Amino acid sequence: MELESGLIFKMKYKEELIKAMKWLGEQEDTVFLGQACKVSGHAISCTLVDVPEDKRVELPVFEETQMGISTGMALEGYVPITMYPRFDFFILSTNQLVNHLDKLELMSEGKMKPRVIIRVAVGSKNPIDAGPQHTQDHTEAYRKMLTNVEVVQLTEPEQILPAFKHAYNRVDSKPTLFIEYGEYYGTK
Amino acid sequence: MLKVPDHLKKVRKINLSKQYLIDFETQIKEEYEQGLIRGPIHLSKSNEDILIDLFQYVDKDDWVFSAWRNHYHALLHGVDSDELVRSIREGRSMGTNSTDPKFYASSIVGGIIPLALGTSLALKRSNSKNKVWCFIGDMTMETGGFHEAYKYSKNFDLPLQWVIEDNDMSVHTPTDMAWGTKQTPPSDVIYYKYQMEYPHHGTGKWVNF
Repeated sequence: MELESGLIFKMKYKEELIKAMKWLGEQEDTVFLGQACKVSGHAISCTLVDVPEDKRVELPVFEETQMGISTGMALEGYVPITMYPRFDFFILSTNQLVNHLDKLELMSEGKMKPRVIIRVAVGSKNPIDAGPQHTQDHTEAYRKMLTNVEVVQLTEPEQILPAFKHAYNRVDSKPTLFIEYGEYYGTK
Repeated sequence: MLKVPDHLKKVRKINLSKQYLIDFETQIKEEYEQGLIRGPIHLSKSNEDILIDLFQYVDKDDWVFSAWRNHYHALLHGVDSDELVRSIREGRSMGTNSTDPKFYASSIVGGIIPLALGTSLALKRSNSKNKVWCFIGDMTMETGGFHEAYKYSKNFDLPLQWVIEDNDMSVHTPTDMAWGTKQTPPSDVIYYKYQMEYPHHGTGKWVNF
């Protein structure tokens, strides 16, 4: 992007997401799940270009079941990266997220620690406003509901790769919910 | 008589007797009535023969998912009885779980369904010879969550065996009354009917804690 001053501004937000997904895709035990993760369809889809196709599982639209599938796969040793293109849709997965993924470690006295990496995008309002059912950011509500899943807002490009690496490597195995911002794909 | 799909074979001998299972629940009942268990309990009775038969088809390394009335399932899958008693005494009757053997129970209707689905997807991707068994009630079978998961498991040929345990109840609501009728379970699902002998929760006796 060329600024009025003539300086060249290189956007990095989306590039860093691509880089982070490539790195995760290189880990043996990862699997990528969601709608439009094997085909194009939304902003998150575009960040999977360097993830091997056999690591991507295209799912139907069944958000709650998707979260349970992700948790179930993690119980068998996979590290699922489960993706939701809008926060507004992600809400439908809340039962599985709050009642199961978030509580499994507590319920099992630490025996079950499913490591799930969740990606949720807040819909962009610029240059096109997708309206009230596609642009909400419920981050604070989820911080209040979740006791074990860590909630991380991805606001700066520099934090993206280290944050995903930490989510994958963390010794406590806690699940991580990443909030991304569609608007930053084209502005940062 | 229990009908199981033809492709399933008996893979282990169950050494627990019907009387052992009944005695286990009786012990829990007595401890609960003495106020020693500070959490809800859901007791089984009258389906011992069927479950003893059925668990001969469950490999010791398979996953078993169950719901709130899970003590029999846990014991028959090999969960240590002392450990199960300890867990129940600590208030976890509704959420029995174990990693060896692999067992998870939840008391939210339908909550185990997506987990069972994902675990079976993982087993298939790993080319495992093991499978997942998911025990649900007749009201849960009527939910949309079951239908989408059943469809997915069938379409992708996942190693997931559904078992419907029909007592025609959801807590105290008769399933056929609430839905107007009941569906016929799919032919590849194991289905059996039984009568509840204990109430949904507790023992039927008022307990002062």
